[in-house]
Amino acid sequence: MLHQVLEALETATGPVSLDELSRQLKIEPGALEGMIAFWVRKGRLRSGVGGACGGACAHCGPQAGTCVFNAGGPRTIALVERTRSYPDR
Amino acid sequence: MTAVTLAAPGAALRYAPPIEAELDHLAATLGAVPALAERYPLRWLAVQLLEGDEQLLAEAESLGGPAVTAALAASRERLAPHYGEDLDVALVDQRYRFVHALAGQALTRPAAPPLTLSDRIDQVVTHRWLGIPIFLALMWVVFKITTDVTAPFVDWIDATLSGPVSGWVAALLSAAGLGGSWVEALLVDGVIAGVGGVLVFVPVLLALYFALALLEDSGYMARAAFVMDRLMHALGLHGKSFLPMIVGFGCSVPAIYATRTLDSRRDRILTGLLVPFMSCSARLPVYVLIAAIFFPAHAGLVIFALYLTGIAVAIVIGMLLRRTLFRKQPPAPFVLELPPYRLPTLRGVWRQMWERTAAFVRKATTIILATSIVVWLLLAVPVRGEGRFADTPVEQSAFAAVAGAAAPIFAPLGFGAWETSGALLTGFVAKEVVVSTLGQTYAVAAAEEEAVTPTTFGEDLLGIAGGLVSATGEALRALPGVVGITLEAPEEETAPEGLAAAVQAGFEASSGGHGALAALAFLVFVLLYTPCMTAVAAARHEFGSRWMWVSIVGQFVVAWLVALLVFQGGRLLGG
Repeated sequence: MLHQVLEALETATGPVSLDELSRQLKIEPGALEGMIAFWVRKGRLRSGVGGACGGACAHCGPQAGTCVFNAGGPRTIALVERTRSYPDR
Repeated sequence: MTAVTLAAPGAALRYAPPIEAELDHLAATLGAVPALAERYPLRWLAVQLLEGDEQLLAEAESLGGPAVTAALAASRERLAPHYGEDLDVALVDQRYRFVHALAGQALTRPAAPPLTLSDRIDQVVTHRWLGIPIFLALMWVVFKITTDVTAPFVDWIDATLSGPVSGWVAALLSAAGLGGSWVEALLVDGVIAGVGGVLVFVPVLLALYFALALLEDSGYMARAAFVMDRLMHALGLHGKSFLPMIVGFGCSVPAIYATRTLDSRRDRILTGLLVPFMSCSARLPVYVLIAAIFFPAHAGLVIFALYLTGIAVAIVIGMLLRRTLFRKQPPAPFVLELPPYRLPTLRGVWRQMWERTAAFVRKATTIILATSIVVWLLLAVPVRGEGRFADTPVEQSAFAAVAGAAAPIFAPLGFGAWETSGALLTGFVAKEVVVSTLGQTYAVAAAEEEAVTPTTFGEDLLGIAGGLVSATGEALRALPGVVGITLEAPEEETAPEGLAAAVQAGFEASSGGHGALAALAFLVFVLLYTPCMTAVAAARHEFGSRWMWVSIVGQFVVAWLVALLVFQGGRLLGG
């Protein structure tokens, strides 16, 4: 099941929403969150906030306040580039 | 993957046989250590140790000594042929499978899970074919609000600053014995014409930030990014690129920093090169000023088209770069969490409007003020003719000489006058400065034509209050126009006056009578060339000097070529 999450991302032909992935894999959203968190801890997935203006924008002076997604953008989860095989599939 | 035995109804989790065997061995070894046996369930502890829990491992080794270390190492070695380095993955995976199977047996699910309100809205707004038209329609509404609804307030602030406020400053200086001096010229033609010329657009930016805050707080912005990402991905670009680009609608600087969310350096650089083409809010005052002069009936449409042009140019340049400098890497898909829709709160929306508008006003009183003073000084210094400091025809000033040297570059684009090339040069500092410089360079000519009727302070105050009431009424009447309902007969177009007339005459003269085309080319140039000095510094900080120069030169070339296409192409088509 855990590998299905990675495979779904590897074979996706464009961005997918978390809900869409949950329906596609027939995995409860809560369980999917846990699986994603596991792969993030393992370093196979990267999770981040889309806008990411906060810390970096400390340098941008008066423009800092004009940042859209200032309060935090949508979370994105992407594969970390790496090639490896799955021995236990 | 090895199957997990499910022993319902007791539902005890049994791992695959090799793991179970090692768990039994380990539990036996751990059970021989009373301190561990008393503190932890032994099977659970064995699972944690096999998964590599470092804290528990340290504790087990300190309490159990070398026997625990040796037993764990032996178990891992025996399991290695089955699971390689992924033993922890196998353990976690088997637990998920167990829970999934258990839930499948225990729960009865509807064939189609019930849709929440957010799901139903998403079915429409993120629809494969409807998503982009809906995004464009919302952008259209945003620009109608920022132009049509705020126009009366812009006129009101403009009339207040150029009329009563300038009059009060002149009167105060006269009382102090400085009437007609260079100090009066500095304050009226430099500070008020420059900074004031930018501050009149505060209502426009308030409206833009209001609309962006609504879209952001409601959760729609994430959908917009999702929909556009799909398009970008289909075109071979990195899907995540559009997230920084959406940020670029606010300001290019945080958008450049937001490229950090992309995984590879190549993608970050590529997106960093595209972000400045997205129309930041600082460019909006330029659009509003020029569009109101040349396209008063279609200002919203022109501004909307400029935003679309920015997106289209970014996509085309991105595709070109993908096929040349940045080939080799296929775009990587990703998962985007779409937050549930929320009703924006008044407090949240106001906070965002206030913070962003305050940032704009701070910029007006720092960078723009400083640039306005420098421009005024250069306009006051004569380099030709017999004028004196602050008493020279602007055509003979140092600013005109410097800007005039750059003007031939822009001549093929239809705006080769020194006033416009000067505004584009100072616009490198910040885009709002384009407006302040146009105000300063053209204001002198405009002021000479305007006859001022003396008024009392009380009359001024009454006029300001009356103007506000009138502007509010006009704005309310313009509101239904956002969705295409017109409450009153369209006003007859009147000939522009003052600054507007001077700007129009300037463009007409520099373009050989094709003023509107030249103005459109000028707007396209403003849209596409370097956003500001701070964005350049951000690009250098993130990508290095080499890419910073690629960005500056590339944007200039793209801006020049597209503006040339607009002007010369328009002329060929009979514009």
